[in-house]
Parts: sequence; structure tokens; C-alpha cells
Amino acid sequence: MSGGEIVSHHVMPSGGNYKLTAEEVVKKALGKAKLSLKDIDYIVATGYGASNATSANEVFSDLSCQGRGVSYLFPSARMVIDIGGQFTRVFRVKEKGKVTAFLQSEKCAAGSGRFLQVIAKVLQIDLKDIGELSLKSKNKVDFNTGCAVFAESEAISRVAEGALKEDILAGLHRTLAAKIQSMVERVGLKPDCAVVGGGAKDIGLVRSIEQSLASKLLVPEEPQIVAALGAALLAEEKAVPSRSVTNLKGG
Amino acid sequence: MSQYFAGVDIGSTMTKVVIMNQSVLASVIGPTGPEHRKLANRVMEEALGKAKLPFEDITYVVATGYGRINVPFADKQITEISCHARGVAYLLPEARTVIDIGGQDSKGIKLKDGRAVDFVMNDKCAAGTGRFLEVAAEELGVKLEDMGKLSLEAKKAVSVSNTCTVFATHEVVTKLSKGAALPDIIAGLHEAIATRVYGMLRRLKIEREVALTGGGAKNIGLVRAMEAKLGFAVLVPPEPLLTGAIGAALLGKDIVKEAEEKGTTLARAERRLQEATLFT
Repeated sequence: MSGGEIVSHHVMPSGGNYKLTAEEVVKKALGKAKLSLKDIDYIVATGYGASNATSANEVFSDLSCQGRGVSYLFPSARMVIDIGGQFTRVFRVKEKGKVTAFLQSEKCAAGSGRFLQVIAKVLQIDLKDIGELSLKSKNKVDFNTGCAVFAESEAISRVAEGALKEDILAGLHRTLAAKIQSMVERVGLKPDCAVVGGGAKDIGLVRSIEQSLASKLLVPEEPQIVAALGAALLAEEKAVPSRSVTNLKGG
Repeated sequence: MSQYFAGVDIGSTMTKVVIMNQSVLASVIGPTGPEHRKLANRVMEEALGKAKLPFEDITYVVATGYGRINVPFADKQITEISCHARGVAYLLPEARTVIDIGGQDSKGIKLKDGRAVDFVMNDKCAAGTGRFLEVAAEELGVKLEDMGKLSLEAKKAVSVSNTCTVFATHEVVTKLSKGAALPDIIAGLHEAIATRVYGMLRRLKIEREVALTGGGAKNIGLVRAMEAKLGFAVLVPPEPLLTGAIGAALLGKDIVKEAEEKGTTLARAERRLQEATLFT
């Protein structure tokens, strides 16, 4: 970022080697911006593997970054649903992205993106096609279970019985949305509500959650970079007032 | 003429049929599977073949298990809780508690005078069920039936910190790639299931003796892990998968006996083996 605007961004799978991935993703983003590492004033790392980003000056919690990023994109947002690959989080934000109430579903794959990954594999479709396909559904399949593992076998049975992929997907979206809805209710719904993370790229899931909550959701153009965006905003705050930080190799 | 009773137990994973008179005459265990769910008739046919009996000779048929509604030729449907209780009371009369670890659920049943007086059940979450082990075995590239024996070679069970099957599987595969020994990992998975089942059972106030049934009881590593949690040895029937079907057949026998004593007539299904029109 520079002067409050995004210059470039890059998203890639974390893979098994976080350190290598962290180096690679920074390189790619710098390449797109036609910059080198020494042009960057301050780097903030965040997320599950933040400690592996050796070029970072500082590490911030992903929650703070997520909150900051959402507030930048949607100043009116007071609630955020973050549907990640391994867990879902629901939290409230005040002005400037300060996070207040917070709930996370890390114990169980049921409410997370992992649920959809499992099902995409069963149905042999690309994760990114799930959303559009599910919108074609006219007859949602009812699922008896919220468990990702049991849903997988249930989906297999439904396929064997001849159910359409879109109907299965729409049914699963409804199951997932119900789980997320219960999390939102525990924190207390407070519009405007934004949805971020990989799950927000699934239009079928977003519509399903909107239906469960009876509330419109704000969806960023690029939902996966919100935490990174927040990290960059926090980095800018750190770097711009003082201009004193130059030790890019530190951390 | 002697009387014959059939018990049909349609579990989530396996379908079990027994034919009894004074004792078990024939039994068949076959997969339930998506396409087999309506085919209890085929398993029944196989059992009749083994017992060398025509279907007309069966006095009463009781269906149980989660697919019991898909047995059109059954005279009565009875819950698996009652059938397991009856089966265990017959096979292991000293048992006061039953732990059943099935393919997609796990249950705890308290027994009194051969009847279920209380029970707990988990069928909402794959953790603590056979499915947990099945998924992990597949990811580890180990045959499910080899898991028990392999785990006995463990030196120190790996601790599995995730409860969720999806995450726990990911966790153990990562640990394997980082050099943990396979037997230690499998022992850790058994411990995880035992912990989960034990946690569910505590509400029941476990009383000795404890019988372990279901597919889980065929896994010696899981039996040992469960015993370690309980702090004492458990009883395992000779064929742990058949407890429910045996109980179903025996309950059928009880029903017929009671009707004969009271002189009432019993409503019975047509003695015609047919596929089910699925009710789910």
C-alpha cells in the first residue's frame, strides 16, 4: 500500500512450508508492484503462520488486522463473519476496526470452509464453481447432519440416489449458514455485517447466510486479502508518522 | 413345529441378520452402503439359505438399527437401544453397562434386569465413532482391520489434540510426515476415541461389568484404550457386530411368547422378501 491505496496484492496457498511461501508471496506482490523489498517502509505479518514471515517488522493478531481491513473497506460495518479454510470467526467492530465481541469455531470443521472443500472433492467440482452452481438449485437437499464427515457420506448417498449437484450444494450451504447463524446470534447480530475470508467468494453461501440472518451482507471484491490489507494499514500507521523504521531484515 | 425368529439390524455401515430358535442357527453380516440400503432382503435370503429354511417358516421378524424402517418384510421395528440391551443381557448376563461403538455413532446403555433403563448417544459428530478411525485409516493408508494390531506395537501413544475428525486426521498425517511412528499415531487415535466415548458415558454412571459391542469392539487396540480409560477389563461378545440382531430376534421371541400366553393374535407382515421403497 501507499498513501492509503492498494498498489498490488497476491494470494497463494500456504502449503506445508510457511516460510518459503511467505517469501514467495512477498516476491510476487513486489513483482506486480514493480518494487523491491528495500522500497517497503514497514511490514506487518499476520495470520496462523505469521511467525514464519521473516521479512516482517512486526506481527499483529489476525483479528486486529481483519477488523482494520474491514473498517477501511466498509466504514459502516459493525460485524464481521470471517469464513476461513479451517475455522469461522464472528466478531463485532467499532470505528477504526477495533474488535470487541468475538467467537471462533476452531473445534469442528462443520462451520468452516473445510466443510465445502470436503464436499467439493466428493462432487468432483472445483471449489470456486460451487457458488454459481448452487444458485441454480430449485430443490435444496435436506441434510440430517452438521458434521463435515457425516455430510460427506450423506452427499455420496444423495448422489447415488440421483440428486443434482446444485441441490446438494444448496442444501449444504443452508446447513453451513445455519451453523454460522447460530454463531452470529451468540455474538448478537449488528448490521452492517461484512463477510470475508475464502468462504465469502462463494456466492451461494453468502446468499444462504443472508437468508438465514435476514440481513444483507457486505462482500469485499477480494475477500481473502482483508487481513493482509489491515496489516498493511497498521504498517502504514507505524511507518508514516516517524519514518524511522528502516530495519527491514529485523523482526 | 419349532419356531424360528429373525433379527435384522441395519446399521449405518453394516447390515446384520440372525436366525434363531433356541440358539443362533445362522448369521450374515454384509455392508449397508448407499445402494445396499434397501437390500436387506438379500442379506435375509442369504441367512435363510445358511439356516436351510424357507421364509414362511420364520415365526416373527424384528428389524432394528438406523435403517430399520427400510425392512418391508419385518413384523415389527424396535429401537437399537432395546435390541442391544436384550442381546447383551442374553450373551453376557453379568453386564450392567453397554458401550457400543458403531460405524457412525456410539452409545452407552445402562441395563437393569436385562432391559435398558438409561442411555446416551452420539450420532451428530463423527468423533468418537468408527467413522473417525475409518477416515484416519484411509488417510494413513492403513487397512481398518489392521489398526488394532498395529497399535499394540506402540511405544508411546501420540497425543491427538483435535476433536474434529477432519482436523484430527490432518493433525496425525502431519505428525507422521514429521517422523512419528505409525503405531504410536494409531494408538493416539484409539485414545482419542476412547476419551470421547468415555466423556459421553460419564453421565450414565458406569457400572461393572461393562460390555463393549459394535465394530469398535473388533479393534483390540480400541478395546485396550477403552479399558485404560475405565480402569478395568471389559467383556466382548464372540461376534460384537451381532448383538443388536440377536437382541431383535430374542425380542421377537418374547413378543410371540407373550401373545401365546395371552391368547392374542399378532399382526404380521406378508412373508415375501422384497426390496424396500426407501424411507429416509
